[in-house]
Amino acid sequence: MLEMNLQFFAHHKGGGSTANGRDSAGRRLGAKAADGQTVTAGSIIFRQRGTKIHPGENVLRGGDDTLFATAAGIVRFERLGRDKKKVSVYPVAEAK
Amino acid sequence: MITASFYRDREGNLNHYRIIGHANSGVYGQDIVCAAVSATTIGTTNSLQDLAGLTPVVESDQDNGGYLDVTISLHVDQEKVLISQVLLENLLGTLQSIQKNYSDYLIVKNDTSTD
Repeated sequence: MLEMNLQFFAHHKGGGSTANGRDSAGRRLGAKAADGQTVTAGSIIFRQRGTKIHPGENVLRGGDDTLFATAAGIVRFERLGRDKKKVSVYPVAEAK
Repeated sequence: MITASFYRDREGNLNHYRIIGHANSGVYGQDIVCAAVSATTIGTTNSLQDLAGLTPVVESDQDNGGYLDVTISLHVDQEKVLISQVLLENLLGTLQSIQKNYSDYLIVKNDTSTD
């Protein structure tokens, strides 16, 4: 639950003014589920820009390249060809 | 300037929104545009959990404020999808109406790219 801070989108309090000081917030990309972790259908596994990791079995890629599980199971990060990686979700029965 | 971006999935359902920036429509504590945007976005985000029974993936900058990124997964039953869409279309509509009168402080992007 988020705290109801009514000045959450207000300029930060206090401090003098400067011409600089602008930066975009970090996008918190990267893995949201680890190898071997059990996930539910719909869980987000990996946030990325472009396809650092490709979707494997039971994994789809969203519009912003986010990878998410389409079935419950165990996450497996695997190689894809010579120099690529993919992530799959194997339902518990099949998990190697 | 606050930028609110909304994204839809292939079926046209809203499933991702990102609010970035500071309104700067007043000094801290009296920034009314910020208060309006904060109340509607934070309220809606909490309601996705309380009313729609979803578990949104929320990323926010609690220290500096000015960053809220929420993603929901719609691989759930139809009732939850429906409730979430009512909440999010309401949020989008509310922010768009705020933008009409306070366009110097808020931009709303109803992105057509699917998510």
